[in-house]
Amino acid sequence: MLLRPCMPFFFNGLSLFSGDDHKTLSMKFTLNWLREYIDTDLEPARIADHLTMLGLEVDACVPCYPDLTGVVVARIEAVCPHPNADKLVLCDVNAGQGLTRVVCGAPNARAGLVIPLALPGAVLPGGFTIKPAKIRGEESCGMLCSAKELGIAEDQAGIMELAADLQPGVALSKALGLVDTMIEVDLTPNRPDCASVLGIAREVGGVIGKRIKPPVEAPPALSDEKLPFSVEVESVADCPRYAARLVRKVKIGPSPWWLRQRLLAVGMRPINNIVDITNFVMLEYGQPLHAFDFNKLAGGKIVVRRARVGESLVTLDGNEHQLEPEMLMICDAKRPVALAGIMGGANSEVDAETADILLESACFSAIGIRRTAGKLKMSTEASYRFERGVDPQGVPRAMERAVQLIAALSGGEIVEGGVDCLDGVIAPAPIILRGKRTRALLGMDLTLERIGAALAGIEIDVEKLDDDTLRVTPPSFRVDLEREVDLIEEVARIVGYNLLPTTLPMVPMSFSEQDPLRELRKNLAQTLTALGFYEAINYSFVTPQHCDLLGLAADDARRQSVHLLNPLAEDQSVLRTTLLPGLLESLRRNVNHQSHDVRLFEIGKVFHPQGSRQPEEPFRLAAVISGRRNPGAPVLYAGEIQADIFDVKGVVAQIIGSLRLGAAITCQPCITGQELPFAEPGSVLAIKGEKEILGWCGAFSQKTLKAFGVKQQAFFVDLDLAAFVGFSPQAKNFAPLPKFPLVKWDMALMVPEGVAAGEMLSAIHGCGEKLIERAEIFDVFQGKNIEAGKKSVAISITYRAFDRTLDDETVGKIHQKIIEMMISRFNGQLREA
Amino acid sequence: MPSMQEELLRLKAAAGEELAAISTIGELEPFRVKYLGRKGEFTLVMRQLGQAPPEERPRLGQLANEIKQELETAYASREALLADAGSASAQATLDLTLPGRALPFGKLHPVTQVMDAVCSIFEGLGFAVAEGPDVEVDFYNFEALNIPPHHPARAMHDTFYISDSLLLRTHTSPMQARIMEKEQPPLRMIAPGKVYRCDSDITHTPMFHQVEGFLVDRHISFADLKGVLSVFITRMFAENTPIRFRPSFFPFTEPSAEVDIGCVICGGKGCRVCKQTGWLEILGAGMIDPEVFKKVGYDSEEYSGFAFGLGIERIAMLKYGITDIRLFYENDLRFLAQF
Repeated sequence: MLLRPCMPFFFNGLSLFSGDDHKTLSMKFTLNWLREYIDTDLEPARIADHLTMLGLEVDACVPCYPDLTGVVVARIEAVCPHPNADKLVLCDVNAGQGLTRVVCGAPNARAGLVIPLALPGAVLPGGFTIKPAKIRGEESCGMLCSAKELGIAEDQAGIMELAADLQPGVALSKALGLVDTMIEVDLTPNRPDCASVLGIAREVGGVIGKRIKPPVEAPPALSDEKLPFSVEVESVADCPRYAARLVRKVKIGPSPWWLRQRLLAVGMRPINNIVDITNFVMLEYGQPLHAFDFNKLAGGKIVVRRARVGESLVTLDGNEHQLEPEMLMICDAKRPVALAGIMGGANSEVDAETADILLESACFSAIGIRRTAGKLKMSTEASYRFERGVDPQGVPRAMERAVQLIAALSGGEIVEGGVDCLDGVIAPAPIILRGKRTRALLGMDLTLERIGAALAGIEIDVEKLDDDTLRVTPPSFRVDLEREVDLIEEVARIVGYNLLPTTLPMVPMSFSEQDPLRELRKNLAQTLTALGFYEAINYSFVTPQHCDLLGLAADDARRQSVHLLNPLAEDQSVLRTTLLPGLLESLRRNVNHQSHDVRLFEIGKVFHPQGSRQPEEPFRLAAVISGRRNPGAPVLYAGEIQADIFDVKGVVAQIIGSLRLGAAITCQPCITGQELPFAEPGSVLAIKGEKEILGWCGAFSQKTLKAFGVKQQAFFVDLDLAAFVGFSPQAKNFAPLPKFPLVKWDMALMVPEGVAAGEMLSAIHGCGEKLIERAEIFDVFQGKNIEAGKKSVAISITYRAFDRTLDDETVGKIHQKIIEMMISRFNGQLREA
Repeated sequence: MPSMQEELLRLKAAAGEELAAISTIGELEPFRVKYLGRKGEFTLVMRQLGQAPPEERPRLGQLANEIKQELETAYASREALLADAGSASAQATLDLTLPGRALPFGKLHPVTQVMDAVCSIFEGLGFAVAEGPDVEVDFYNFEALNIPPHHPARAMHDTFYISDSLLLRTHTSPMQARIMEKEQPPLRMIAPGKVYRCDSDITHTPMFHQVEGFLVDRHISFADLKGVLSVFITRMFAENTPIRFRPSFFPFTEPSAEVDIGCVICGGKGCRVCKQTGWLEILGAGMIDPEVFKKVGYDSEEYSGFAFGLGIERIAMLKYGITDIRLFYENDLRFLAQF
């Protein structure tokens, strides 16, 4: 096994139902490899398509090797020194058609060596074209290549040494089987059986109607008598099956080309014959294996047990782990020698001196491996497979396959017999599958025969119980099949999802209630876009420093935030309690990008903790205005006039008006206290119902703007939307249109500058005079010709009667009365026009 | 005192002369008031008609009417002439290539636009909308959806935790369990909202948007799932969009499917975006797993249903050709203004 820390998994992203990628194991294999187990001449693209449509999503389907046209097998017949260069030699090379002279600089060039020769015209990977050339004055008609130069392996120490029996002149790709396609499948976590080339071949067989031919059909029964080692499994629940065999007198060395080729093609680095075989068989059968150096095992004994307090183990990756009593270990007579199912220990590692090998093929509890791997934050090819479940019946097959290969490739002698503790293996329980249920769930008219055939095609045992019922026994490798519905999915998969019918459901008509808050949010978003605002969306998590930047008091409720235990970064570690900082940051980015005229709004949740319960998540609306009053309008007309607080006040008025809440909600100046430390004093308005405050609008203080890095004035609106839902909009009641004309009379009053214009209007509106339709301020002036400490306020009053045309005399009397009332109430004087 | 006839003829001559001298539109109105208005000279003369001898009246009346009509005709043609001349001169001086005086107009965020489009298609099919909490309890996010602790599918979720039992929802699927727990079938719901996962790169942001949907009733089949999602896709993309369903795995559905559409970038020929396959994955779906029904107390022999979920940003990226998901959360006006 195990497991050299080979090949990390390619976890890429995630998704449940979001339509993006998955966090899955990527299983790689090649077409030639697949064809060892299944007889098919389908094109690679067709196979890839079949696999994808079986739920084995193909992520890549690419040629394994570069195009090596023009590279042939050749034998070096003679080598002589280069007359003009110490490090170069002249090789006379036989490429099947007489001798060719090639200049070569490789240290291993020698007579008799069979090597790859790139002939003139060949294009090597990387685009280098071979041409006849003179090298230091000597003709060279081709190039002897290293494996790396050919793009087929990493080896670049010298020219590639080929098997001596290859025929010179034969195309290299033909001689080495260098025409192959690598296919990469993203495995979903429910299909550990397909983390093996045999498993994938079985699936292909299900579609094309053929059976796989595994290299080992029936492993021999093993006798554990007279063995030079023993195995003890303390808990069969932790380890349902444990097999071990001994191979003596192995010679550790490099693997043959075919084996290295297989591993290289799937991105696994060849190490030595023993490790390569365990990796190869794991990929072939999906059964992780581990080879111990038998002579390093104390007492010739394997004990499968939980770790003891205080034990530790240095694994093959060089890391030391403090073991915990729940972790399952492989131990010898004295100490742990491997983290069961995850990684071997350094103390029993196979090395160049190893002579005797104890090979382990086992099946461990999925939950146990998952916990241990999770705790140690380790993930290996082996742990991935054990965590999801390996086939207990694959244990002896993979063992047999591996010992045969070890004997064949390392010259080892297989010790007869072996251990196979399988007390913990539980046979899969049969499942009843109803034809009617299958048809109903899939919406397709399928005969019981077709259902049975689909399952039988992927080696699922099917027995007919009655006209419409099957008794199905899942094979041991399909750990995911436990229920009737699991089998129905198998039927759908093999029939093909795209052949299932497409219908629309017959459902009763119904009308669902609309969520008033959602409606409100939609309406407000429409209003704000119509007012020139773009919608912003900021992250829900923010930096806790926002509260400081806003200058919130230590006891401000907005400082009480929900904290993430595992934030991606400190500046995304708490859930926001206000939307304003997000908008200020958006504003800063825009200004920095030279978009100076900004109107942004956001409607979103803020979060207030409630102890250990779920936080409150009220929706708020916030908006900012900065830069020119009329962004986007031509400067030609709108000029450079900058927005001010009356722009946000106007926005609030329009929001309230659009909701028909003008009678219930007001927007009044307010003295800011602790609630708005970030606002400019004297530039804040409170948006109020009868008593409660629904929000604010105003100007940000210079200090706040500086804190957020905003280099220009900015104004805000901040509303609590939940509070708005409580108000009923004013009913739409038709009022007859006036039949008689209006008349407008103006007045200009000098009043002390402290008098609020709004109060002057209220005084007119509230004076009880029925003929007044409305009053409007049309000018406020201070300065030239106006006494210091005073201001001139010009008001236009509209008069109208519903039943007659008003004459000057009537209006004049009322107007005069109002002027007098205003003068006395506001300590003013009439200003002559 | 001149006779009324003399008076009328004098008026006719004077008015004709004056009208001919008028050269701007502005002079027309005073002329009309002076001669033809309610208090104009012509009206004043006409008032004398009552004092004329009765036998004269018909003749004088007729003359007066003729003169008035003549004057009105002359006035109208003078007005038309001057109007033409006026607009001709305006045409020469008004530079209509100057920009229009547009009022500001903002736009909804592209995520909102796509979200609204998705929701309105399903609402059109009778699905109701429900929104759940962003901070979810472990039970609804995982266990109720058949993802027990230590289940390998949890490794598929990079979850932001708030406490042992609270987390930021990793999908909007918890709404399935929340709604089914409270209500009885038939149910047709969609649950749009924000979801969160600890992941950040060019194709992942730690917060993104999903719409979850599900339908539960008697006799609901996989064929129905295919039908509803096909309607959605043809509305969302184009009528002739190629669609394929392929098997996948989700812990809370069985059978599970992923749904691909023909690549909108290359038209199915194969490109970088579709990894040369000609297909783009756009949503996950499946028949609701009996375990999920069991947790909410539904009898899976009586009821069946399907569920689906889709990522809004992904659809927006495909529809609009956006290449970096992080742009959605920078709120750059140069970005927002494009949609």
